[in-house]
Amino acid sequence: MRPNMVLQDLNFTVKSGEVFGFIGPNGAGKSTTIKLLVGLLQASSGSVKIKGLNPQSLRARQFLGYLPEHPYFYDYLTGYELLDFMADLYGLSGKLKSQRMDWALEMVGAKKDWIHRRLRTYSKGMVQRVGLAQAILNQPQLLVLDEPMSGLDPLGRRDVRHVIQEMNDMGTTVFYSSHVLSDVETLSDRIAIIVDGKIVQQGTFEQVLSNADARDLEEILSREVAKEGVNHGS
Amino acid sequence: MGASIKRIGVIAHNTFRESIRDKILYNIVFLAIALSIFSIILGEWSVFDKAYAIKSTTFSIMSLSGLLISIFVGISLVQKEIQKRTIYTLLSKPVHRAEFILGKYLGLIAVVATHLGILTVVFYGILWLSNADPQIALLQGVYLIFWELAIIVAVAMLFSSFSTPVLSSLFTLGVYFAGHLSHELLAQVRFLQKIDENLSSFSLQLMEWGALWVNRILPALYKFNITNALVHQIALPPFYLFWHSLYAIAFVAVFLVIGSWWFSKRDFL
Repeated sequence: MRPNMVLQDLNFTVKSGEVFGFIGPNGAGKSTTIKLLVGLLQASSGSVKIKGLNPQSLRARQFLGYLPEHPYFYDYLTGYELLDFMADLYGLSGKLKSQRMDWALEMVGAKKDWIHRRLRTYSKGMVQRVGLAQAILNQPQLLVLDEPMSGLDPLGRRDVRHVIQEMNDMGTTVFYSSHVLSDVETLSDRIAIIVDGKIVQQGTFEQVLSNADARDLEEILSREVAKEGVNHGS
Repeated sequence: MGASIKRIGVIAHNTFRESIRDKILYNIVFLAIALSIFSIILGEWSVFDKAYAIKSTTFSIMSLSGLLISIFVGISLVQKEIQKRTIYTLLSKPVHRAEFILGKYLGLIAVVATHLGILTVVFYGILWLSNADPQIALLQGVYLIFWELAIIVAVAMLFSSFSTPVLSSLFTLGVYFAGHLSHELLAQVRFLQKIDENLSSFSLQLMEWGALWVNRILPALYKFNITNALVHQIALPPFYLFWHSLYAIAFVAVFLVIGSWWFSKRDFL
């Protein structure tokens, strides 16, 4: 691998309407891939297309929802003001805007007693809920979530799983990365495993296990990490 | 086009809201008001005319406090978005990066205009209380300070689109002082040419060439300081305010276009 080349020969397609789990050890290139998908990074070679569109185009972003890893929002705003701001950026207005905001807040289980408090007073779980709410505000066709369950307690993880399933039931394609292998197994229609910037396995859960001749995802990950000699801390 | 203007307006509104909830802004505004009030005492102590001392001091406070706002609030506006990663969420929305820069700029310009508005009210209050001839013509000075700060805010946005906060602050300060002193530099070099025969013609030419380019490339901010003309009631050349507004708009446009272009190339790791 050339120096500074974070991803190599990355090639995958996410089908419309599916839940696609993206797993790999720390530093494997999951977040970099996601940032390419949402247009925060530009690939030095190759291309990313969302419904045939460049992710940096406004049209592609109109139907994209994104929750970054460890989201951090403007701490001088309240959760409600943040959603209002994001709704304005999507061009929502009037009754539709308030309907969407109420819907998104209900979907993520936001409570009225804290949604009007400044974001700086929020716990990790509250921030994650508001983050999810802003990501689904436009009822996206593609929802991209970077480690949406990271740092959450079991109840928080359950709620995030619920949102992913609900959105998928509504027809939204979900692409998400996670460390929590049990969640990936239960939620995903298809998965891809990335190690050291390369996709080493992809397909349905059963296909991946069968291809790798392994009992579970953990075994595949351990084997691939050992093969690549990846030093993955924390 | 209409949607783009709306998004710029949304970002500008949020920037304004962010700034007016920032404690640093209040510190600068209160400091500026306190110093303006102090100019009354300065007027009493001054060997110059009291009205002159109050007016020139307050105009300087307006310009310098606006510079502080541009540096401490303006530069941190873009850098905070990057360092705290709030930009990830914002730029994943249907927003052009140029709209982001323009929205941030206009939000900060609204802050600067509000700051100047408050100081102008304080200024006229001080002039009225100290019987220091509160003419309406003084508003021309405030108007040009606004355009001077509009350029400085654009410079701050340009540097903060690719540099660190400390370097951006230093660069912005550099442009501010160079913009105020570039004509002095040129005048000094030309003066030197006349009096110092020991200097070689090559080094003199080099100095003149350097001073000329500094004078041409950087905005001539000294032209926005019309305190002397206003205080001594010297008539300004015809259309002075109009031409200098256009001059400022041209510089603002150039700085914002470069800043937006640079920002659009940037990767967010």
